Amino acid sequence: MFGRLRTRDRVVLQVLATLIAIPFAYPIIVIVATSFEGQGAIENYTAVLTRTPFLRFLANSAIIAGGTIVITFVCTMLAAYAFSKLRFPGRQMLFVVVLGGLVLPAIALIVPIFTIMLGLGLMNTHIAVILPLAAITIPFTVLLAKNFLDGVPDEILEAAKIDGANTLGTLFWIVLPLARPIIAVVLVWTFLQSWNEFFLPLLLLQSSDMQAVTQVPLYFTSEYGSDTPKIFASLVLISLPVTIAYLSLQKLFERGLTAGAVK
Amino acid sequence: MATLHSPAVRGGRLRALLYVLPALIVVVGIVYLGIGYNAYVSTLEWSGIGDDRRPVGIDNYIGVFTDPVFWTSLSHVAIFAVVTIAAQMAIGLTMAILLSGRIFLGGVYKVVMFLPVVLSPAAIAVAFRDILSPGGGLNEALRAIGLDGLTRAWIAEPETALMAIAVINIWAWTGFSFILYQAALAQVDTDLIEAAQLDGAGKLRTLWSVVVPQLSGTHATLVLIGVIGALKTFDIVYLTTGGGPGRSTEFLTTYIYKTAIDGFQAGYAAALSMVLLLLSLLLTLIQMRANRFGRS
Repeated sequence: MFGRLRTRDRVVLQVLATLIAIPFAYPIIVIVATSFEGQGAIENYTAVLTRTPFLRFLANSAIIAGGTIVITFVCTMLAAYAFSKLRFPGRQMLFVVVLGGLVLPAIALIVPIFTIMLGLGLMNTHIAVILPLAAITIPFTVLLAKNFLDGVPDEILEAAKIDGANTLGTLFWIVLPLARPIIAVVLVWTFLQSWNEFFLPLLLLQSSDMQAVTQVPLYFTSEYGSDTPKIFASLVLISLPVTIAYLSLQKLFERGLTAGAVK
Repeated sequence: MATLHSPAVRGGRLRALLYVLPALIVVVGIVYLGIGYNAYVSTLEWSGIGDDRRPVGIDNYIGVFTDPVFWTSLSHVAIFAVVTIAAQMAIGLTMAILLSGRIFLGGVYKVVMFLPVVLSPAAIAVAFRDILSPGGGLNEALRAIGLDGLTRAWIAEPETALMAIAVINIWAWTGFSFILYQAALAQVDTDLIEAAQLDGAGKLRTLWSVVVPQLSGTHATLVLIGVIGALKTFDIVYLTTGGGPGRSTEFLTTYIYKTAIDGFQAGYAAALSMVLLLLSLLLTLIQMRANRFGRS
C-alpha cells in the first residue's frame, strides 16, 4: 500500500513493529521459561502428567469438545444450507431468532442453566456443559457458514436438481464438498470455544474427577499451593492443542474469521 | 411466479423447516427458554436450591437500580470497554499498517500478535496473575531497565487493578483487531491512495485521510464486538482479582456469579442478568442502527 519504500523507511517500519511485538511476545516467553524453573523442565512436566489428575481433566475436555463439535457441526450445516438455499415460511424471522443468541453472555443464564441441570439430575455430567456450549456457539457458526454458502452459485445446485438429486442428496454430494473451507473453520472455532470455556465447567462440573482443563490451575492452587513452575507447565500443556490447531490451519482459520466478521 | 426468485433447491416448503429445526431446538431450548425462566425467577425471592420461592414483583429490579455495587460494576465495565477497545483498535491498526510494508519476518510478527487470541482466557489470567505480582515478570522487566520506581503490586492495589485487567484483555484480544484490519487493508482502493499521493499528500497524511476512513466497516464491527465482549468479560476478572480488592474491579458478570452461587440469591442474580441482557441487546441495536445511518 505504501508503494516502493526506501531502505530507511523500511528500517523505521521494522523497528516500530518490533517495539509493538515485544510486549506481546514477552508473556509467552515468561510462561514457557518459568515452566522450566524450580525442579527443572522434565520434573515439572512429569509431575503435572503423572502426579495429578491432569490426564483425567484432559479426557473430560476432549469429550466436551467432541460432543460440542458434533452437535454444533450437524446443526450448523443443516441450518446454514436451509437459510442460504431453501425457501420456507418464516425463513428471515427464524434466521434472526438464531442470530439473537450472538449477543448473549452465557453468564446471564447462570440461574436457569444451574436450576435446569440440577432438576434434570445432569450436574457433574459432560452433557450439562455440552448443550449450553453448543447453544452459544451455533449462532456464530451458522452466520459464518450461511455467509459462505451465499457465495456458492445457485446454478450448481440447479444442475444437481436436474440430475435428479433430492434436497438432502444435494447437501451431501454437492454442498458439503464445496463448503470444505468453512467446515474447517466451524470445526476449529467450535474446538477453541469448547476447549477454552471456563465458566460453564466451573458452574456445572464440581466433582474433582469431572473437571475440565481450564480448571487445572485452580485445582493446582488449592491442592499444591503456589508451585508456580508446575502451574505454568500445566498452562503450557493445556495451551498446546489450541496452539497446534491454530498454527496448522492458520490461513484457513483467519480467512474464515474475517469472512464472518467483515461482511 | 417469477422464476428469478425461485429457490435453488426445491422441496416441500415445510420439509425445509426440518433442516433448521435441530439448530432452533438447541438455541431456543437453552437460550430463549433460559431467558424466559430467568425473567420468571427475577420476580422471586429465592435461594436457587430450595422450595422457598416467594413472589416479590419488581422488587429485585428496584433493588438493582438502587444498588451502589451495580452502578460501580457498570462504571468499571464502561471504563474497561473504552480503554480496551481504543487500545486494541489503535495497536491492531498500527501493526496491520506496519506489516503491510512487507517487513522482514512478517509472518512471525503475525503469529505473535494472534496467538493470544486462541489461548484460553483462564490460562492467560493465571499467567498474568503471576507476571503482575510484586515479584513477577513485569516488575522484573521494569527493574532491568532501571525503572524501579514504577514497580508495584499491580493487581493487588485498587488504583491499578482495573487497568491491569484492561492490559491483560488488550494483550489477549489485540490480535483479533489486527487480523480484521489486515483483511480490510487488502481491500482498500489503491487508486485513491495514488491520487492522494499525486496531489502531494505525504504518507502519514494519506493514511489518516484516505485509508483510515475506508476502514469504517471494520471500525464499527470492532466497536460492536468489543462492547459485547466487555459486557461478557468474566474469566480474566474472576481468576485474577475476583472483583477485588474491595469492589475495585467488580464487573456485572462477577457480581452476578457471586450473588447467585456464593450469595444464594437466585432471584436477585436473575434480575441482574436480565439487566445485563437488555443492556447488550440495546447497545447492539443502537450500534447497528448508527452503522446503517453512517453508510447511507
